Amino acid sequence: MAETRPTPRWLPLLTVAAFLIATGLMLGGPARVIHLARGVVHAEPSFRELPAAAAWSLMRMTASYALSLLVAWIAGYWAATNERAARVILPLLDVGQSVPVLGFFPAAIYVFVTLLGGGRVSLELAAIFLIFTSQTWNLAFGVYEGLTTIPAETRAAVDSLGVRGVLRLRTLLAPACVPTLLYNSILSWANGWYFLIACEIIAAGPVHYDLPGLGSMLSRAIASGDLKLAAGALATLIAIVLALELLVWQPLRTWSRRYRYDTQSVEESDALPRLPSLGIPALVRPLRAVARALWSRVPVAAVNRGLESAAARGLRLWGALRWPLGIAGAALALVALGATVRVLLPPWPADLARLPLALLLSFLRITAAYALALLWIVPVALWASDHARGARWLSLVAQVGASIPATGFFPVLVALFVNRFGGMEIISIALALTGMQWYLLFNLLAGVQRVPNDLRESLRSLGLSRSEIHRQLVIPACMPSLVTGSVVAWGGTWNALILSEYVVYRERVYEVTGVGALLNRATFGTGSRSMLFFSLAALVITVVAFNRLVWDRLYRFVQARYRLEG
Amino acid sequence: MLALRNVYKSFADRGRAIPVLDDITLEIPDGELVCIVGPSGSGKSTLLRIMMGLTPPTSGSVLYQGEALRGVNLRAAMVFQSFALLPWLTVQANAELGLKARDVPEAEAHKRAAYYLDKVGLDGYEEAYPSELSGGMKQRAGIARALAVEPEVLFMDEPFAGLDALTSANLREEVLTLWSDRALPVNTVVMVTHIIEEAVLMADRVVVLTSHPGRVAADLPVPLPRPRNKRDEGFDQLVDSIFEKIV
Repeated sequence: MAETRPTPRWLPLLTVAAFLIATGLMLGGPARVIHLARGVVHAEPSFRELPAAAAWSLMRMTASYALSLLVAWIAGYWAATNERAARVILPLLDVGQSVPVLGFFPAAIYVFVTLLGGGRVSLELAAIFLIFTSQTWNLAFGVYEGLTTIPAETRAAVDSLGVRGVLRLRTLLAPACVPTLLYNSILSWANGWYFLIACEIIAAGPVHYDLPGLGSMLSRAIASGDLKLAAGALATLIAIVLALELLVWQPLRTWSRRYRYDTQSVEESDALPRLPSLGIPALVRPLRAVARALWSRVPVAAVNRGLESAAARGLRLWGALRWPLGIAGAALALVALGATVRVLLPPWPADLARLPLALLLSFLRITAAYALALLWIVPVALWASDHARGARWLSLVAQVGASIPATGFFPVLVALFVNRFGGMEIISIALALTGMQWYLLFNLLAGVQRVPNDLRESLRSLGLSRSEIHRQLVIPACMPSLVTGSVVAWGGTWNALILSEYVVYRERVYEVTGVGALLNRATFGTGSRSMLFFSLAALVITVVAFNRLVWDRLYRFVQARYRLEG
Repeated sequence: MLALRNVYKSFADRGRAIPVLDDITLEIPDGELVCIVGPSGSGKSTLLRIMMGLTPPTSGSVLYQGEALRGVNLRAAMVFQSFALLPWLTVQANAELGLKARDVPEAEAHKRAAYYLDKVGLDGYEEAYPSELSGGMKQRAGIARALAVEPEVLFMDEPFAGLDALTSANLREEVLTLWSDRALPVNTVVMVTHIIEEAVLMADRVVVLTSHPGRVAADLPVPLPRPRNKRDEGFDQLVDSIFEKIV
């Protein structure tokens, strides 16, 4: 979406710079090691705590999702209705989406603890904030896409009937966003689980503060050697994810079909083997009846008049406050710039010299995981290209696999490898692999299924062998999907490193040289704010630059070269 | 009466202003059925949207019953080529939409929408969703939705272009019947079409636009008696003379 719009080239750079300066403001000041008020010293975790842990995790997810939805709606609506705003908001969302947000968890803990003290509330807020930053960007893109793809005539028809304000929101704008918003909500929940579990594990590790939840239970159970409980927690996590898929997303997907315009044809996904639909329409129906009855009482025109006069008052207020607010904003920006400069000035932290090597090693770890993933995914996808039924089942498996948060397996990986078989290196690469492989497989299978059958048959009739068809047709045709999947998988995998390069297991710290380890050490070990800032900046700049310089170009090249017509 | 005075319209394209309508002055008295014909690029749809108040003219003025139009004309309604029904609302709810916007009480809105759905022959399809209807039925629902607000003027933007020949011929007849039905409040119709025969079959008056930019090339009355037929005497001559004006 962002590619189709002419945005000035310097804008993403400016976004990243502004972002870093804001971070600088938060992290300015003398070095300080985070000391949290120790949580309740918990007894050995037990099965009895499992339901509460699940409930806590689910509540954290729901809270951050609600927040994400609200922010996404405002940003998406603003971008869709104001072209000038869109030119700033869309690149902002793009950068937000590609930044490895887990890197900000240590920083977020730092900031919230500084602001609110070291209690449970700050940790909860840090976690919710972090999950929010993993969910909101693509939701905002969803809103933007939904609003901008309303057919011009439909829009004109609604306007010509005199429909405005709340009625327009309710009958045109909100429904138009349903399909894209639902699709992105499912993605956001999958993302959110990944980060939720990661946050809980991190908090339970070096911070030693318990965010009660499935992730912390999992890591505590493994640390105390209670494998039965660990398996129980992992099973609960998987069960919740699958139950949500079956009870919420599946019925919603069916329901959302009505919210598509006529012109769109029936999707291929209808041909997929579907999970059984255990809809809850019977539960929803009375709620809907109540909502409808309430809605029909609303005097639409009167409410609109009220809203309009309120908007006019708001505009007048804005006119009066514009200058003072602008000056205050500029002053804040100056302070932030000053703080950033102070952080950047010597004396530099001792760890800074290790940063380039750490960055390189982290990069190599991701590349290794990516190569390993492709090593098994490409042959499987090629096999699937010759077996249509197999391909459909595999993509269902990939979909389910992608929805299960890979971070849940992290404590298991730690317990298995921490002192054996290359230890931390293996753990890091394995976690990166489990995170990216399903997503890559899913994308590649989608590409395989889009290869038109008549093209394949025409090559067969020319006497090409199966492997020649793979080389000449299937692989080139899959390139766009492969690159699309790779961008997301590669960017997202940096998050896995932040979790896996620095591990606290049975009261001992294990680490490898990497940017994730540096980030964690800066927060929990040395307490160096400037090191935190340097590591974050290096991480963000690397990821955004790599996206811009490598993936974007590759994407455009592949789109121009390998796109199948029609 | 609807009056346009020196209406200009241009769109911005990469910083340049592309003129679409050039100095349109036009009067449409109450009770007339006027067709606007022109090739593609003549801005006829834009002209219709300006009359409806959906788009403001770049310069010039639009007067309805002697008053300058500000925003959408709530005493008019519009029918679209793509039907433009909301896919997530039932036929009934689509037809009630304009009444909701005018705060008509629920029961009254329900009754009125049902009445007009019946008028266009959609009795029994109230609870259907647009995707379950054929093209002709969708356009009937579109017409019922416009009629339900009981407009004085009905604007139609190529209303039959998306339908097959037989369906469009039927619907054309029905629109004429609705227009001549004195029991219905709507008695002025402005319709855009690119089919000259359609214009001559239906209109009291045909306004011919040229393209790039749109200008009024001719404004001809259609003196043929109703009901009309393509084999009527003088039909072909009229069609030919309009055709020449366009080319």
